[in-house]
Amino acid sequence: MLRVSLFLFCVFLSLGLEAAEVAESLVRIEATFQEPNYKAPWSPGEVSSGVGAGFIVQGDRILTNAHVVSNASFLTVNKEGDPKPYPAKVLYVAHDCDLALLSVDKAEFFNGTTALELGDIPAIESLVSVYGYPIGGKRLSVTRGIVSRIDFQTYSHSGMDSHLTIQIDAAINPGNSGGPVMQKGKVVGVAFQGYSGDVAQNVGYMIPTPVVKRFFRDVEDGKYDRYVDLALTFDNLFNPAARKALGLPNDDVGVQVGTVYGGGPSDGIIKSGDVLMGIDGLRIASDGTIKLDGESVPLTEVVERKFKGESASLDILREGSSLQVKVPLSAPWPFALQSKAYDEKPQFIVFGGLVFQPVDQNFMDAYKPGNLRLDYLFDFFVEDGIYRERPQLVVLSNILADAVNAYAKDFLFAVVDEINGQKIRRISDVASAFAKTSDYYVIQMLGIGRPLVLERKAVEEARSRILQRYGVTSEQYIKK
Amino acid sequence: MIRQIAFLLLLTPLLAVAEPKSPFNHPYAAAEPSPSPLEKPGCNETQDSRVVAERSILRVNSTNQAYDFFQPWLKKNPVSRRGVGVLVQGGCVLVTAELVMNSNFVELEKATTAEKSSATVERVDYDCNLALLRPNDPGFLEGMKPLTLEKSLRVGNEATVLQLEPNGEIAETIGQITTISVGPYPLENIGLLVYRLRVPLQQRDGSFMLPAVSDGHLVGLLMRFDARSQSADLISTPVIRHFLDSPAKARFPRMGLSFSSLRDPQFRRFIGLKEPGGVYVNEVSPHGSAAEAGIKKGDVILAVDGKAIDQDGNYDDPNFGRVLFSHLTNTVATPGSEVTFTIFRKGKLIKIPAHMSVPDRAHVVSDAQLADHPPDYVVLGGFVFLELSRPYLQEWGNDWVNNAPKRLVYYDAFQNELPEDRGKIVVLGRVLPVPETLGYEPLQNLVVTQVNGKPVRSLVDLAEAAKKPVKGFHKIEFEEDPKTVFLDAASVEANQKALVEQYSLPALQRLKGKKSP
Repeated sequence: MLRVSLFLFCVFLSLGLEAAEVAESLVRIEATFQEPNYKAPWSPGEVSSGVGAGFIVQGDRILTNAHVVSNASFLTVNKEGDPKPYPAKVLYVAHDCDLALLSVDKAEFFNGTTALELGDIPAIESLVSVYGYPIGGKRLSVTRGIVSRIDFQTYSHSGMDSHLTIQIDAAINPGNSGGPVMQKGKVVGVAFQGYSGDVAQNVGYMIPTPVVKRFFRDVEDGKYDRYVDLALTFDNLFNPAARKALGLPNDDVGVQVGTVYGGGPSDGIIKSGDVLMGIDGLRIASDGTIKLDGESVPLTEVVERKFKGESASLDILREGSSLQVKVPLSAPWPFALQSKAYDEKPQFIVFGGLVFQPVDQNFMDAYKPGNLRLDYLFDFFVEDGIYRERPQLVVLSNILADAVNAYAKDFLFAVVDEINGQKIRRISDVASAFAKTSDYYVIQMLGIGRPLVLERKAVEEARSRILQRYGVTSEQYIKK
Repeated sequence: MIRQIAFLLLLTPLLAVAEPKSPFNHPYAAAEPSPSPLEKPGCNETQDSRVVAERSILRVNSTNQAYDFFQPWLKKNPVSRRGVGVLVQGGCVLVTAELVMNSNFVELEKATTAEKSSATVERVDYDCNLALLRPNDPGFLEGMKPLTLEKSLRVGNEATVLQLEPNGEIAETIGQITTISVGPYPLENIGLLVYRLRVPLQQRDGSFMLPAVSDGHLVGLLMRFDARSQSADLISTPVIRHFLDSPAKARFPRMGLSFSSLRDPQFRRFIGLKEPGGVYVNEVSPHGSAAEAGIKKGDVILAVDGKAIDQDGNYDDPNFGRVLFSHLTNTVATPGSEVTFTIFRKGKLIKIPAHMSVPDRAHVVSDAQLADHPPDYVVLGGFVFLELSRPYLQEWGNDWVNNAPKRLVYYDAFQNELPEDRGKIVVLGRVLPVPETLGYEPLQNLVVTQVNGKPVRSLVDLAEAAKKPVKGFHKIEFEEDPKTVFLDAASVEANQKALVEQYSLPALQRLKGKKSP
């Protein structure tokens, strides 16, 4: 696994003609973050600060990367040549494509600024200029390079989503994030991630304008919906025997559906083993690509350009007969578990010094539990349909040591199955189970025969003692 | 650099004189300082054990060759191991099983005369990590004297570890037993009695597979040594005795249950347990001795054969102190013998007699070791199939838990929780690209569910199902993507010879260790 490092930026000064024009639109963003502490979920988190870049777009808004403003509790923006910082607010943030739009309360901020226009996808090998404030100095830096590759890439901000990405060979360094990539006076991309120098040289990535434009369109209704997905996997159909067995001619058309994720938009419409022949009237090649605007792109690009509530029309071949189906598109939630989450407070319950938390990517990154059973449930949450029985995996994440829980250690990182006979499907079930008065609280974990038992009396006795000793300011937070 | 080379050149002829017969030796062995005073404290005892040792210990050289589970028709490069074996009653030499695991050739060598005889592994038990070797030359052991096992050690007792110098001299190092407990043995998932010895051993002759003696009696065989803490784990006397006394096939019986401690007073009150001690039965595995006897999940074991069990599962042994009760059930008991459990169940005390049995390996989903067994495989049109086992996962190196394919690791780890009829996990290990596998080259480590519509619960199932292609195709289904693949049956059949030649396969399959064309 290559480590993709995200860049955050710095200062600026006008350079040359084009640079001077771009300077009228460039913004320096200073953010104060409060990163939630998953290991002490009641604590508001440590305060840190960072600086990023952005640029002004139509409608007196500032476009930047989501990772520049994620978890920010306070934001200020500066125009070049104007020392005055203006407080700013996040209007919309799209963590799945690493973009955010900011607004500034004082309209005067936008006096004398120019909104940059969005261009199209630049041609391979054409020249582009990258504006930003990378390390190596404090002023504006402009680097030039060519478009090296247009492909799908994982966006490391969420770690789960892949979208169209443009690779350029202009030097992009930590500090370029959120800055515009320009060609012929128009924005052709937003610089956002790259490889650290010890992995690859001259490989930088920008978010191309189709992704940016999609983001703009999505928020037109006043809120950001996630990207939609078919929630299925497909595999190539090169093998002549497979083609013959499925009744396909030797014409390199069609891919075979592998998994259709339960609860996803295709569930019940498309079956594993179906052959996808076309999408929205476009022929699907046997490697899963379609021809779109003269380019060969993965068939998912058709879905990428759609919005929640729209549908995709698929031509499929099922057991020898052709049929056409419509899939109403939506964002399947189980995948969100494995995406890094931002701007969210960790949920938890403290009971008898035992801390219970629902598991997500942030939790796993913070604790690195190294518990094989938990790893299985987390890794195969979607694939093995674990979410169906358990929309949340609630684990005993921490033990605030006290006489009441002196023997609970063996249960650390175990997934709670039942409390007093009540099935635990989400963190709120834990709260409701503990809310019922009972002499004993019997906590049954997955895969452990012996339950963890707490006596009500002992829990009540220990309650204030534990809260005080460990500085626990709140006993639970459950998202509504 | 130059100085170092000159030094080595100078040293080499000296070495040649000092030890003409040991090709495996560490080049610096002769340069080691002579044994420190620590190793030869008591004169009388030393003298005795030397005599004993000279008449009873032998150098054992074994050339071992394990199978390559990624290419199960091949063996890996041979590895030479050496250790020190002990002559025991019956004309056999006792060594650790690890020393002769997957052996191609075993050789016994007399320490001083360097006389050699090849040997046969007469009996090996990977549970207790012990093996018996019989020299192929019947007169080879004449004049030597077997060691007996009449002594039982306690914590605080001394034991002498015997090593052989390259020149045949015996090096003795005295250590002290610091702990006696039930601990893991390296080759199988079983805990047996272990002596932990604190002993300042030096690396001699490249091996830590050594005997330990006391007062002229064998007391243990070294199986692990941690140089940093200077602590050695020994296969203990009762385990060796159990191995030597058992008839050839019978091994160490197992309870077939897992338990947890009952320290938590809140939990004790919850289950209404007033008696002291006891452990809580977490799981009972089907077919095991405990299940057959009717012991259930949730039972509390209070005593075994009348010996009270404490809250952690220990009983008071007259010789070894507090040790886990599994010593009673897997080492003191023999297969077929009866052990009586005193059980607390739903407020009542009951006595349950259990006949101890050795688990049937047929029920094991993923074998912990497959030593000395050529792994089964089936090659079908370039697809290489095998059954999941721990040795297969171990091909991913020491950190296989993190590096091996996750689904396979989980199948191995949680195999006891699979449905009883799950059978073996058949895996498409890799693809040897041939025209029939076009487009399938990257597939690897996929779990097979069905072949030609037939469920696959073993390689034999797969081989049988592959005999009946459907409408001219082999349809193979997996748990993971791509869920289904097809092979042209006629083409697979026609190109078998080409496949065998292209990849130099000795056979297209080996089932139950037997090759067939």
